[in-house]
Amino acid sequence: MSRLFDFAGGTGMGYSQPEPLLSKNKVALPPNLMRKELPRWPRLSEPEMVRHYTWLSRRNFGIDTGFYPLGSCTMKHNPRVNEVIAQLPGIADIHPHQPEHHLQGLLSIYHEMQHMLAICSGMDDVTLQPVAGAQGEFTAVRCVQEYFRKRGETQRTKVIVPDSAHGTNPASAAMAGYDIVEIPSLENGRIDLEALKAVIDDTVALMMITNPNTLGLFETDVPEASDIVHAAGGQMYYDGANFNAILGRTSPGLMGFDAVHFNLHKTFSQPHGGGGPGSGPIGVKSHLAEFLPSPVVKTRPIVGDEAKFAVDDMWYTWYEPEHTIGKVQQWHGNAGAIIRCWAYYRRYGYGLKDMSEHAVLNANYLRHALHREAKKAGVSHMFVDGAEAEVAKHEFTLSLQPAKEAVGVSAMDVAKGLLDMGYMAPTVYFPLVVPECMMFEPTETESRDTLDTFAKDFAQVLKVDAQTLHEAPITTPVRRVDEVYAARNLCLKHPFDEE
Amino acid sequence: MVDQLPNRGLETEMLEEMGFSSIDDLFSDLPEHVRMSEPLPLPPPQSEEEIIADARRLLGANLAMGEAVSFLGAGIYRNYVPASVFQLITRGEFLTSYTPYQPEVSQGMLQAMWEFQTLISELVGLPIANLSLYDGSTAAAEALTCAVRVHTRKASQSDTVYISELVPPDRMSVMHNYCQGAGITLKLLKHNADGTLDIDSVHSAAGSCGVYVEQPNPLGILDGGLTQIKEIIGKNTALIVGVQPVSLGLVEAPGNYGADIIVGEGQPFGSPPTGGGPIYGIFACSKPYLRLMPGRIVGRSIDVDGKEAYCLTLSTREQHIRRHRATSNICTNETLIALMGAMHMSLLGPEGLEHLAYRNMTACVLAKQKLSEISGVSVPHISSSHFNEFVIELPRSAADCLKYLDSVGIIGGFDLNRWYNGRTNWLLVSVTDQTKAAEIDLLAAQLAEWCSMKEVVA
Repeated sequence: MSRLFDFAGGTGMGYSQPEPLLSKNKVALPPNLMRKELPRWPRLSEPEMVRHYTWLSRRNFGIDTGFYPLGSCTMKHNPRVNEVIAQLPGIADIHPHQPEHHLQGLLSIYHEMQHMLAICSGMDDVTLQPVAGAQGEFTAVRCVQEYFRKRGETQRTKVIVPDSAHGTNPASAAMAGYDIVEIPSLENGRIDLEALKAVIDDTVALMMITNPNTLGLFETDVPEASDIVHAAGGQMYYDGANFNAILGRTSPGLMGFDAVHFNLHKTFSQPHGGGGPGSGPIGVKSHLAEFLPSPVVKTRPIVGDEAKFAVDDMWYTWYEPEHTIGKVQQWHGNAGAIIRCWAYYRRYGYGLKDMSEHAVLNANYLRHALHREAKKAGVSHMFVDGAEAEVAKHEFTLSLQPAKEAVGVSAMDVAKGLLDMGYMAPTVYFPLVVPECMMFEPTETESRDTLDTFAKDFAQVLKVDAQTLHEAPITTPVRRVDEVYAARNLCLKHPFDEE
Repeated sequence: MVDQLPNRGLETEMLEEMGFSSIDDLFSDLPEHVRMSEPLPLPPPQSEEEIIADARRLLGANLAMGEAVSFLGAGIYRNYVPASVFQLITRGEFLTSYTPYQPEVSQGMLQAMWEFQTLISELVGLPIANLSLYDGSTAAAEALTCAVRVHTRKASQSDTVYISELVPPDRMSVMHNYCQGAGITLKLLKHNADGTLDIDSVHSAAGSCGVYVEQPNPLGILDGGLTQIKEIIGKNTALIVGVQPVSLGLVEAPGNYGADIIVGEGQPFGSPPTGGGPIYGIFACSKPYLRLMPGRIVGRSIDVDGKEAYCLTLSTREQHIRRHRATSNICTNETLIALMGAMHMSLLGPEGLEHLAYRNMTACVLAKQKLSEISGVSVPHISSSHFNEFVIELPRSAADCLKYLDSVGIIGGFDLNRWYNGRTNWLLVSVTDQTKAAEIDLLAAQLAEWCSMKEVVA
C-alpha cells in the first residue's frame, strides 16, 4: 500500500516556491486569527508524490484501461486533442469577470454551442450555465416554476416522474419545492398513459421523461403524453441523459417537449474524471427563454474600435434574460468542459447523425452478439432481454433472472466476474423494473472486434460455476468491498494517532 | 466525412448479421411524425488538425491573464499549479473513469478522494469533508439548506438563515435558487463602516437555523470578530464560514472558532481559473450534520479478505437511492478537479502551505501600502488585515479607471458597483502569490497617472 499520510519527510516542499515579496514579519493578523497549528498534511517530495498517484492510478479502471459498457453513462472515448485544447492559456488562464472584449473567442464558442444544441434538440434558446446534468434538471424546473408564477398559475405544485426515471429527476424537482407524483411504468418500462391520465390536472406543472427510456427503448407514446400534459396546461421536460441515441434522427422539440437538459460530458465526451466535472446546459422553447439563467451569449453588430478584438463579423455579448431565475453556479458554467465538448462536436458537425447511428448500431450489434455467443457456448438459457423489442437504441438491458433461478448466479456475480476478465461491469440493478438487470451501453467509439470479444468473454463468465462467481473478483486490487462495514464503522478521514 | 468511427465501412456487414438491411431499420420504432426529415443544418466534420487550428485562433483571441498584468480576483484567483499535477491528471485511469460504483476496480480514485477528505478536514479544522460540490457558491447554498434540515425543528426562527450582506449578488442568487424551494428565508447581517461584521446584528440571528459569513470577506478583510459568532448564536444555529483555502496557511481554521460547516472555492489549490469552471466547491462539517449533508463521501472499509479497501458510503442520503427525499440532487460533481487539488496540497505540505499563504499576504500588504500612497486614492479599510484583495476608493468611477488601465495592458481589478449599487468609485484590487512587485509598481504608477488626469478617458 502507498498511503498519503504515511509520508512524513523533511520540511522541504514537493515544489520550490519564490520568496514572499516582503519579509514575513510585515504580515499583521488579528491575534485571535493567527493559526496556531498547521494542518497535519503529509510531507512528500515530487518523486514520492508522482509515485503515490501513479500507484493509485494503477488501481483504477478507466475507458483507457478497457471496454466500459456502463449503461446510462455513455462512456465513449475521450479524444486527447480535447485535453490539449483545454490547456491553452486562452481557456485555462482566463477569468470569468474579464470584459467581453477579452473573451470574444470564448463567447463565440459558447454561441456556437448554444446554436448547435438548439438545432439538435429542436429548442429555441440554450444556456450553458448549469455544470452537471442534475443541475440542468434543477435549472429547467426553476425556469418552468417562474414561468407559472409569472402567469399566476401558482396552483401547479406537482411534477410527474415515471418510476423508471433517474433518481436525479425527482430529487431536482423536489429541490425546487415541487411535490413528486410518481407514476408506474408498464412492464417494459414504457409510459403508462392511463396512469398519466389518472393523475393529470391543473395542479401539475411538469412531467419529466427520458427518451429513449432507461431501458434503452424509444418511447413511442411520448408525443401523446405531451398532448395529455399540454392539454392540462403543464410543461414537458426531456431528460437528455440518453440524447446520444437520437441526434439527427429526431429531437425533443419534435416530440413535444418544452425544456431539455444535455449531459455534455456524455454526449460530447468531457472525460468523466471519476465523478466529474460535467456540463449540463439546458434548451427551452421560446416561451421559457426569458427565464433562463444568465448569462446567455447573443450577437450584435460591431461598434467602433471593437473590430480589433472581434473574431467574427459580429460582436458576441453576454445577455441577461428579462425574467431570469438568476444563477445556479456563480460563474459562466464549466467553461473548460464546454471547450472540450465543442472540440468533440467539431469532429462531427452535421455528422452528429452518424455518431448517434453508430451508437445505436453498436448497441444492437452487442445485444445480438451476446445472444449469439451465449448460444454457441451453451449458456443462452442464463439470460433474457430485459425488454422485448425488435430494436434497442443506444443501450439495452438483459435480465439475469434465469441464471439466478437456475444456478443462483446474480447479476452482481456476473458483473464481478467481468471485472476479472478485464472489463468494467455494465450497470447492474438499474432500472429496477428489470429483475437482475444488467444494462449495456457500448457507444459509437468501440470497434466490432471489441464487441465480439466482449460477447465471447461474457459467455465464458456465464460458464463459470456459481461458487467461483460468488467469490469474484479475485484479480482486482481488492476483492468485494464490505459496504456495510464501511457504513457501520465510519472512517471518513485518516485517523492519525490519537483517534 | 466522419471517418474516425471504428465501424465505418462495416455497417452493412453488421446490419446483415442482425437481419437488418439499413441503418433506418434501427430507427423504425420512431413514429413517422417525430422523425427529422432534413440533415442537421450544421457545418461539415473537421479533422483533428483543423479543430486544433480553430481552437488556437479562437482561444488565442481571448486575453489570458498571464499575457497582461492582472489584479482581477473577486472569488477566482490566479495561482500556480505545479507541472506534475497536470502530468498526472492525464493518466487515463483517473481521467476516463466513471463514478466509483465498482469499488474493486476504483480503489485508486476512492483512496485519493478519502485522502482529499482528510486534507480538507485538516485544513479547515472539522472532522468531515465530502469529495466536492460544483463550486463555492453551490457549496454555500447547500450548506444553508443543510443547516435548515438539521436545525429547523428546534429553531425559534424556523426555515430562516442569516447571511452577510456583503455576499456577492451572483453567489446570493445561487443561494436563493437553492433555498426558495424549501421555503427558506434569507436575512442579511449588517457590516460596519470599516468592513467588519456588525456583531450586534448577529444577535438577531439567534434562534435561526444558520449564519453564513466569509473569512476573508468579499472585501478581502480578515475579520477577528467572526470568532465571537458561535458564542452568540449557540449550538442550535449553524455557523457556516466560507473560506479562501490558501488563507488557512496563516489564518485560524474556522473549525477552531466554532464553525459547524465550512465551504469555499477550492480553485486556488490545483485548478487554473479556467473562466470559472470546472473548479470545485469545498464542503466540510461537524458530526451533527453528517447524515443530512450533500454530496459523495468515501469511507475506509475492508474487503472479504479483511484487506484495507475504500468505497462510497452513506449513500442513502443520495438521489440514486433516496430520490425526492435526497439531501441534494447532486450526482456528477468535480472529482477530477478535487484530485488536482489533492495533488497540489500533497506537494505543498504544511510548510509549503504556510509559505504560499505568506506569499499571498505579503503581496497584499505591499500592494495596499503602494496604492495608499497615491494622491487621490484612499483605502477605506486600511486598518484591517486583508487577504488577496482590498478596496481602493478612487476620485472618479472605477469603470472609467478600468477602461484606462485596460488601455495600458492592465486588468485593474473588479468594479464593486457591480455588486454594491452606488459604490461607483470602489475598485477591488486582487493580488495573489502570482503578483510581482514590479506589477504592483506599474499599477501604482498608472493609477497615479489616471488620477492626475482631468478628463475621463473613454
